Order: sequence, then structure tokens, then C-alpha cells
Amino acid sequence: MAFEAESKALYDAMVAVKLPGIIDAVNKADAAGMAPTAIIDAMSAGMTEVGVLFQKGRLFLPHVLSAAAGMNKAMEILGPKLAAAGGSNEKIGTAVMGTVEGDVHDIGKSICSTMLQCAGFEVHDLGRDVPTQKFIDEIKAGCNFCGMSALMTTTMTVMKTIIDITKEQGLRDKVTMMVGGAPITQVYCDKIGADVYGETANETTEKAKKIALDA
Amino acid sequence: MAKYYTRSGDGRRIEMSKEEILADIQAGTADAADIGTIPALNDDQIEHLVDIITCQDRVVGVAPGKEVVMTYDIGQLDFTGDNGNSGNGVDMGRLEAALLHERALGADTFELAHSDYSVKPVKPIISMEKQTMEEIQDVIIAPYFYGAMPNMGLYYAPDGPYPNPADLMREFKIDESMAASENAAEHLARDIEYVGTHIQAAGSDGFNFDTTGSAGDADFVGTLRGVKALRKACPDAYINVGAAGESVMGIHGMIDFEGTICAGLYPHQQAKVVAEAGANVFGAVCNTNTSKSLAWNLARSVTFIKAAVEQSPIPVHVDMGMGVGGIPMKETPPVDAVSRCNKAMVEIAKVDGV
Repeated sequence: MAFEAESKALYDAMVAVKLPGIIDAVNKADAAGMAPTAIIDAMSAGMTEVGVLFQKGRLFLPHVLSAAAGMNKAMEILGPKLAAAGGSNEKIGTAVMGTVEGDVHDIGKSICSTMLQCAGFEVHDLGRDVPTQKFIDEIKAGCNFCGMSALMTTTMTVMKTIIDITKEQGLRDKVTMMVGGAPITQVYCDKIGADVYGETANETTEKAKKIALDA
Repeated sequence: MAKYYTRSGDGRRIEMSKEEILADIQAGTADAADIGTIPALNDDQIEHLVDIITCQDRVVGVAPGKEVVMTYDIGQLDFTGDNGNSGNGVDMGRLEAALLHERALGADTFELAHSDYSVKPVKPIISMEKQTMEEIQDVIIAPYFYGAMPNMGLYYAPDGPYPNPADLMREFKIDESMAASENAAEHLARDIEYVGTHIQAAGSDGFNFDTTGSAGDADFVGTLRGVKALRKACPDAYINVGAAGESVMGIHGMIDFEGTICAGLYPHQQAKVVAEAGANVFGAVCNTNTSKSLAWNLARSVTFIKAAVEQSPIPVHVDMGMGVGGIPMKETPPVDAVSRCNKAMVEIAKVDGV
């Protein structure tokens, strides 16, 4: 496997949850010539393990936040390279992105926003705890992709509410509804009538890109 | 198949077969062993636990001569507090409560407590607490302590001078969040020394720190630093440190006591740092899962507490009450469950006290 040592270093740095160590691993992997998307994938695997350790009570919220800060910092470093790798300035779609109302977890959503932007989408990132109506307003204003994120089972139901409103208001056929977040699955995506589910930001971006280019 | 009357973790009456009880005991002890990286109960201990849970007597107990020390916390509040405060709603003075515990309820130790039951609110009224301590010490025979929760949450906005770490974390201000926890911990340690040394000067036999770590790892560390200072100032004070939960919550994540990072410590690890701080007794806690059975919860609790007893350099008095020690989470815990849990803690976990 190419860049095996760098991938392991990125994974380990994420699980160690120390910001300087994460930045160092990103810079070293970048200097070694590892592709930005591969760096993000390795970090995402580490972030998943951080989530597992958090669930088990081995790591705590400040640790998760430190790892997330590392992810965000990595996106700052890699963002321009991702855009350059995308190689196109042409807009392939307009996406509204946000973490649904009642939920403040936006790490994955922010990464996804950056990657969509790098893939050629115009992205309107509304942040976290976004009121349902704001998603609808953006769709009415012309966004043809809508990405909704939730980290909690108690908030993921808002995704269905938003989809239902688009149906009621005759907007559903004009927009590709994308869902993601820790409790979201392909089954849930199908159940609520969304179009795209991505296990990772990368997967979501690839699927969205394909839909946009096929349209 | 014979069914046995038992309880769920929320106190409901349920019936289970012996096989179901055994399966839950095995799952409960395995869960503790996995989470705490400690030994699971062996076959003999599991069999003993099955016998205790399936015993048809409503109340069970230990054999004569096997009794252990019984220490009460929360002072008079278990009488005067209402049902929502785990009390009985019976109003009485602190002297009467102390003597009732000593002379009617078999308490081996008791404590004076303020109705706020937290270190911080005691500071401005310490002279009144000292007077009451002295008055009650004149008539009580059992060791009589002062009791309060460190309750470091009172040091955060809007109740205290430091910003709330949870609010700061929501804004991704991790360094500021950690600094708030550290400052509050230092403040708490100073207050513990102040209140502790004053109440000892009024004749208290010691201090019981109840629910240590309720505001997270910095609360735990701040208390231990306060205990260390109190031990230095009052070498003869009898200091009991009771935990808030089975695991120290990592609100700071990195804060340490004498080099040991305290986030995520389990009872057998907590006992060692509590002893290092200078406490005489550690009050170990294991939380009850309300969705699981008494068998599952008790097996899990006994596994955790047994490991703490085996590894603790100081005596361990297990916390036994609503929602801890395997006892169901119910405002008035059912006596069948309470007595079974206590018997198991004494006979299997080998606790020094309750």
C-alpha cells in the first residue's frame, strides 16, 4: 500500500488527539506527496476510532474536539491543493449545507462542504443548528443540492421533516437531498426519501459530483 | 421453569428464571471486566451471586460477625429532604438527626451537613457551622464529621467567577475551556482547605467529600488537591473521599493529580490517587443501568468494587444508595434489592464498609 507509513502516522496522530501532532503528520504526508483526499481518508479513519473510544468512555469531549480541530486545520492546509487538484473553476451545482436544527455537531458537514467546494460546487454552508426554514429558503433561492447532517438519533428526524416540506411545497424534484452523520445509514436515507447518503465526506462528494455531471 | 421475583434497574418488580439471572450476571461482570480492564467474577463468585439473588427471603443479610462499618452521608437531609431529594420529608434539627442516626439507625459515623451540601456555600457561614459542630460533638459518641460535596459546578457562570467549560467547548474554545476548569479547580482546592481547617478547629473528627468529580475531572483533581492541603494542615483529620460515578468524566481531559491524568479513571484507579492525596477512606461508586436487571447491575458493580478493594491502599466504603452499587434507581430503593446488593458487596467484593 502506497504511503502506508504516512497513513498510519495520520491515524495515530488523530487517535492521540494532540493538535500539534496532527498538523505535523498532515504536513509530513503532504510533503511526501500523498494525495490530499488520501490524507483526509486516513484522518477520517482516525476520527472514526476517536468516536469509538469516546463511546467506550476512553476519550472525552475535549479529546474529540481536539481531533476535530486537527481535521479542520488539515482542511485549511489541504483546501487549496484540493481545489487545484479539482482543476476546474466551472460551477457544477449549488449546494446548501447545514447541521439540522437542534444539533451542533458540524465537523463532518464542514469537511464535506470544503470537499464539495473543491469539486466545483458553489456551497452555502449555513453552519450548525440550522432552522429548518433556512434550508427551504436556500432551495427556493436556487440551490439544487441540499446536504443535511446530524450526529444524534434525536435530531436526525429533522431530515425527514425538511424532505417532507420540499414535497409539500413542490420543491422536491428541483433538489438532490443528501444526508450524512454518525447515526445515518443507507437504510435511513432510503426510508426518509433522500437521494444521497455518504459514509464519508469523500463518498458524498463523489456521488454528488456524478449526479451533477450526469444531469 | 421456576421464576424468581427480582428487580429491574429502575426498581420495577420483574420475574426471571435462574438461567436468565445467571446469563445477566455473566454479562454484567463481563461488561465491567471489559470496560475497566479488570478481572471478571469467577465461577464460585457468580454462583454465590445467583444464590443471593434467587433467595426467596424478602430481606437478606450477612452472618453475625461479618458486619462492616456503616457510614452515612448527606447528614440530616435523608430525613429532612423531601422525596425528590432522597429524603423522607420529616423535619428535624441537625442534633436530633445526628443522635437518631447514632442511636436508632446504627450509624458507625455521621456528619454535619448544610442544606446546600456544597463546599462553596459553607464559606460565608463557617462560623455558624463551627458552633453547631461543637454543640453536637458535646453529646454524640460516634465519630462525627463535616460533610459536603465539592460541587465545582458552582464555580462556573452564572453561579461562579469562571466561564462554563461546556459553553466554551461548544464554541471550539478548547484552551479557554481547559483554563476555566483549571482555575475553578484551584479555587475549589483553596475553599476546601479553608472550610476544612476551620471545621476541624471546631472539633470535627474529619471531613466527608461526597460526590467528588460530579463536575468532571477538574472537580476530582481540585478536591484531591484540597484534600492534600487539608491533610497537611490537619494530620489527624479522618478524611473520606466518595466518588460521583464509576468513571471520572473528562471535561478537561488532561488535568492531572501528581502526574496521573484523572479523566476516565475507574474505581480501582481512583482509589490509588485518593490515597495518594491523603484520604483515609475511599467511597467507591458503580452506577446502575436502569434498563438492565438487578442481576446484571449487581454483578457489574461487584466486579468493579471488588477490583477497587483489592487494589486500594486504604479502606473502601462502597456507596450504596439509589442508582449506585447495583441498587435500582428509585427514590425509595426497594429493601429486597438494597439488602441483596449490600450482602454481595460484603461477601464477594469484601468491602471494608458501606
